[in-house]
Amino acid sequence: MTRVGIVGVGAVGARLARQLVSTEVEQVLIRDESRNRAELVARSLGDTAMVDRGEMTDPLDVDVVVLAGPGRLQATHAAVFVRNGQHVVSTSDDIDDVRALLALDHEARERGVHLVVGAGFAPGLTCVLAAHGAARFDHVDEIHVAKSGTGGPACARQHHRAVGRGALDWRDGGWEHRPGGSGRELCWFPDPIGAQDCYRAALPDALVLVPAFPGIRRVTARVSATRRDRLTARLPMLWPTHPEGGPGAVRVELRGVRGASRDVVVFGAMDRPAVAAGAVAAVAVGFAVDGMLRRPGAAGLAELVEPVPFLTELARRGVRAAIFEGDVAPSTSGGLGAS
Amino acid sequence: MKMIRRALVAIGMAGLVAAALRLRGVGGTPPQSGGWRELSGPELG
Repeated sequence: MTRVGIVGVGAVGARLARQLVSTEVEQVLIRDESRNRAELVARSLGDTAMVDRGEMTDPLDVDVVVLAGPGRLQATHAAVFVRNGQHVVSTSDDIDDVRALLALDHEARERGVHLVVGAGFAPGLTCVLAAHGAARFDHVDEIHVAKSGTGGPACARQHHRAVGRGALDWRDGGWEHRPGGSGRELCWFPDPIGAQDCYRAALPDALVLVPAFPGIRRVTARVSATRRDRLTARLPMLWPTHPEGGPGAVRVELRGVRGASRDVVVFGAMDRPAVAAGAVAAVAVGFAVDGMLRRPGAAGLAELVEPVPFLTELARRGVRAAIFEGDVAPSTSGGLGAS
Repeated sequence: MKMIRRALVAIGMAGLVAAALRLRGVGGTPPQSGGWRELSGPELG
């Protein structure tokens, strides 16, 4: 009997809960800072879902805990559950949080538990697409990730913070700090998102991708933003967040060597970010329960999963990946240019 | 007083130029040719 706990049922957590009750999970325990919200979600899911009335870091009697609450708190919560010997799946996309989650690797390995870091739209689906694309190369030199759109209000606030903070790129074997909101690139996402101006931001994608691709030269991540987003990024949010973000997309560009020549492959996916993130987290839970993760410890999905079965299961749940076919233009930054 | 006024004008001008540069940005590559195709079963394998 598989029991899964969800800590935080905002836009992503609620979608995740729905994904879990529609599959083979016997019980879903829901915990949220807002008791009303937890009860509302549990009621909408039927008998399989129950509200847990404990504090956010109280022990949960489950096999896997999914952290789907505010990004900046997930490392603190994960440490507690890892110490309890429970598998943890984190959906955090906060750069500091992801760094702290990855730092739990040693402890998670010692206890023989899985800590999946960044099981969302980006990082998450982007990591799986990168791993999938890497199979087409003899050696991957560069990975450039871009994402567009936000899930719920917490995701929108995280996007606002990220554009105003410093970005972290991997370049020639070292970390490079760049200003958030800089480095505009026109990125071509799957329809109907199309072309979007994307900028550097405090995104954790490079942190989870670099360990999965030893010897890689460059890893960058950008997020789509408007000029208003860039101008106001360092101010408090001046307008209310939408309860449910619109459609979003991700794009993963890989550059490397195949045979005697260099090549570029671009993968992408379009969906509502909260829906896709919920599906990715649900599939990650399934992989953890079924023992399909490659190793215990803290790591991103590029390191932990076989991409083909993961993408196949995602497609079964309605989240479909796409490949760009056509000319990939050289870009001003040497990587992320539109296709 | 005159110096303070000049300093404030200079700071204001610098701010305007910085804001204009930040709003305008640089770079950007127009799309070339081609399109997206959904991955199907055999391609995933």
